[in-house]
Parts: sequence; C-alpha cells; structure tokens
Amino acid sequence: MAWWKKGRTVDIRHVEGKMETEKYVYTPGIAGLELAKALIEGKILGVKCGDKVYVPAKTYCPDFTRGELVEVKGPWTVETYTIIYEDMYGGKLEKPQIIALLKPEDAEGGLIHYVNIDPKTIRIGLRVKPVFKPKDERKGLLTDIAYFTIEH
Amino acid sequence: MKPNIFVKDKVAIVGAGLTLFRRRMLETPRELAWEAASQALQSAGLTLKDIDCVVVGSAPDAFDGVHLKGEYLADGSGGFNKPVVRVYVGGGTGVMVPAAAWWHVASGLCNTVLAVAEEKMSCAHPHPQGVFAYIWDPILERPLGPNLIWIFALEMRRYMSVCGASKEDIALVSVKNKRNALDHPAAQAAARITVEDVLKSETLVWPVQLLDISPVSDGAAALVLAEEKTARRVTDTPVWVEGVGFTLDNTHWFNRDLSYPRYLEYAARMAYKMAGIERPWKEIDVAEPYDPFDYKELHHIEGLMLARRCEAPKLLKEGYFDRDGELPTSPSGGLLGVGNPIAAAGVMKVAELFWQLRYEAGARQVKKPVHKAVANAWGDLMQAGTVVVLSR
Repeated sequence: MAWWKKGRTVDIRHVEGKMETEKYVYTPGIAGLELAKALIEGKILGVKCGDKVYVPAKTYCPDFTRGELVEVKGPWTVETYTIIYEDMYGGKLEKPQIIALLKPEDAEGGLIHYVNIDPKTIRIGLRVKPVFKPKDERKGLLTDIAYFTIEH
Repeated sequence: MKPNIFVKDKVAIVGAGLTLFRRRMLETPRELAWEAASQALQSAGLTLKDIDCVVVGSAPDAFDGVHLKGEYLADGSGGFNKPVVRVYVGGGTGVMVPAAAWWHVASGLCNTVLAVAEEKMSCAHPHPQGVFAYIWDPILERPLGPNLIWIFALEMRRYMSVCGASKEDIALVSVKNKRNALDHPAAQAAARITVEDVLKSETLVWPVQLLDISPVSDGAAALVLAEEKTARRVTDTPVWVEGVGFTLDNTHWFNRDLSYPRYLEYAARMAYKMAGIERPWKEIDVAEPYDPFDYKELHHIEGLMLARRCEAPKLLKEGYFDRDGELPTSPSGGLLGVGNPIAAAGVMKVAELFWQLRYEAGARQVKKPVHKAVANAWGDLMQAGTVVVLSR
C-alpha cells in the first residue's frame, strides 16, 4: 500500500503512477483495409511492384512507387521455426506451439504464423498451406488464418 | 555581420510534401510518412535512389501507440539501406528535423537528405492528452493532477499581466490564422470566426478557451535537402538554409520566465548569427512562429525578435502580421488553422516558407516581396526552442 494511504512517512518507498491512456485504436491503413477484406474471403494479399510480388501487402513498393495489391497463393515453405514451451510469465504451455517464418513460392517476403503439426515432424523446407477459420468466425485479422499445416 | 560558422557544403531545401491534416486518417503512420515523402521527392524531381540519408522526426511514441516509432516510421520514410536518424524534442521536433537534416548535409556526410515528420494523435484513447500525464514530476507535480493546458494557462495569464494584453488582443491571432488557413488545401480547422466567437467558446482552463487552441490531428510532412551543387542542378530556385538554432531553457517551469520565451530568444540568436542577420525585425520578410495556442504566436514573435517585448499584440491589431501586412506571420494558417500533428506541424511551417520564398504559395502568397524567412517550434517540457532561417 502506498505511503499516503497509510499516512506513515516512514513507509515512503515509492510513488505510484497510472497510465492515463486507456487503450489505443489503430487505423488499418490503405493496404491494411484491403488485406482485412481479403482475409475474410480466405485470401492472402501481397503487393505487385514491377515484376515482383511482396508479402505482406503494403501500399508502397521498395522504390516508393504505389504498388498493386494481388493475391498470393503459395505454396508456402518453412524458412525457419521455433517451438514455444513457456509463455513470457514462465507458465508452461499445455501443448508446445510452433511459430515459423513462412515463404510463399510465388512471391518475395514472408509471414510469421503458427504451424499446427507434431513438433517432431517440423523441419526447414517443409511445404505448408494456410487453414482459415470458418467464414462466420473471420474478423479481418491475421488470426483469421487459424494456422498453417502440411500441404499434401 | 559575418556568419560565425564554416560549413563544408551550403544546404538548400529543394522539395516539400504534405498530407491532409485531419482528426483521424485511415492511413497508418507509415503510409502517411510515405505520402508526404514521395510528394516531397516528386516536387524535387528526385527518386528514392537519389537520397543519401534519411532524418525522421516524431514526438512521443505514445501518440501513435508504437514503441520505437523512429524505427517503425523509417519504412515509410525511405529509411532502408542508408543512414537513418530520428530526432525528438517533443513539440520542437518539427523544426529540429530540418536542423538535423541541415547538419547531415553541411558536414559533408550526405549530399541529399529526405526529412520526414509524422504524427498520428487519433490512436490514444480516450484522448491523446492522457499521454502527457507522464511528462510531470511524480513528486512535485503529479499529486496535483495537472494537465498540459495548466502550463499554457499560467503562461498566458502571466503574459497578459506583464504585457497588458487583453483576451480580445490574443483572440485576434486565432481569427487571423484560421482565416489564413481557408486558402490551405490541407487545412483541418480553417474558419471565418470573430473575436467574439473565441471569447464565447468553452472555457477549458481559464484564460484558455476552446478556440484559443489548435486541434488534435493526424498528418505528415516532408522536405528534401541537398548540398549546393545538387540543389542547383535539380532546381532554379533552391531555398537556402541560412541558419539553425536550438536551445533548452530551465527544465522546471517554476524557474522560467513564463511571460517571455527565453528558450526561443537563445535559439533565434544562434540561428540569426549563423545567417548573418543583425536586425531580424527589419531583415525577416515572412515568419511562421509556432502557434499551438493563440498567445503563443505573440510570445514567439517577440522571442524571434520580430517585435519588441509586449509589442506584438499592438502590431497585430494594426494588421502588421496579416498576409498583406509588413511582416506576415503564419500565412499558412499555422497550427491553429491547418492543424497540429505535432512534429508534422513544424515541418508544415518550414514547407510553407519554402513555398513562400519560391512564390509558389498560390492564394496564400504574401503581398510583399520575400527574401528571408524564419520558422520556430517549441516543446519538450516546454523549455525547448528550435529555429531555422531560410533565404531565396
């Protein structure tokens, strides 16, 4: 308890502060809005700049010109991965979770996402595909892609 | 007076760009930065490939709600595969950006610099004002529950008392700037208002009323700076950066003279000396003094030594600072009229002087011929002054 509540100056150790910003509201941006709409449709967007396509979708290209948003279909391969056993408070996860950097074969760049397979079978170079949530559960967020899984 | 500094390269502004200033923009901070930056490059006739270094300016990270905002914004500012620096002196950032870009070029380190400032104040809820709660000293100030307007209200009251300025005198600044902004295509708060409207608006923290204050805004602004050879190659009308200045006054507001912006006078003296200007009140043709509040423009006109102490209200009444007056101030419409996305607002002011000095300001062009111009910004814990002096 803070010293001014107890009223004993001998308790002065710290002064409390409370952040007065309750929350943040971010606008999706021009490309972000299109990406959100595409995710609801079960699509992943990239940006076409000249003869190259980059993921994730952005409004502008590396050379600063305006790009054209196009669908990226994959297939995707695992570029690198990690397996999470504990959360940041030290709590053990019920089931180890795989996070991977995934590269589409038809575009540059990549996405970070969950890969939902047995951790024993994950390897670099594995071909995967996105699994979307059921359409009525999609909200235009990255998590509309439930996870990636093995492409058969 | 001879300039007191020897620089490797003379520095010019060769391009400027600006997004709309609005309460809430769809664009992400990066997209805003990109829009302003690509516009600035286009106006200079350059592409990103021609840029050696990037300077990014933005006020607290807590506005956009993105930590390490300089790094975040670098992506929309062309800041990759080249040296990138973020400068930050709170509200003073907007004019610190061209100052930092200046020393990148003047030192010979970079031939061309893209300087970008951005602010998105619509993200923090319930109000970006909450972000400021953390500038206060936790022992000496926070127990009182202060907000930012307290400082301004105490300053304004002190200025009114020391200078014998009335609320009516001060409201004229708001009337003038909001009127000037009617001609600005990016303006958010342009309006034809009267002194009476200001005096009848909601009282927030007396003597500060709603129309005494600039709005909360999203927006970005950008400049392209280049050394002399490049500047002369890309344009017939480079706008030279003749001097830069930046100073901190006492950090504690209870130890500052609240009736007079000493932080600005020192910064202005530094910039004028560099520019070889001895009598700014005679030599400066057009000015963009920082005007987040109406009294602040008067304060800053005096701090920039464009008027004697306490003389600004009288000159304002005579029309001296109007667009067709002897020394037009805030011909853009300033923060009160165009809007106040903190760092971007300062760069907007410098961009306005760039267009004024090239006679490209269209309906906003001041009547008199212009050769030399000055802009300032103010911020940090309200003790930071930043100044640039430009010439054509």
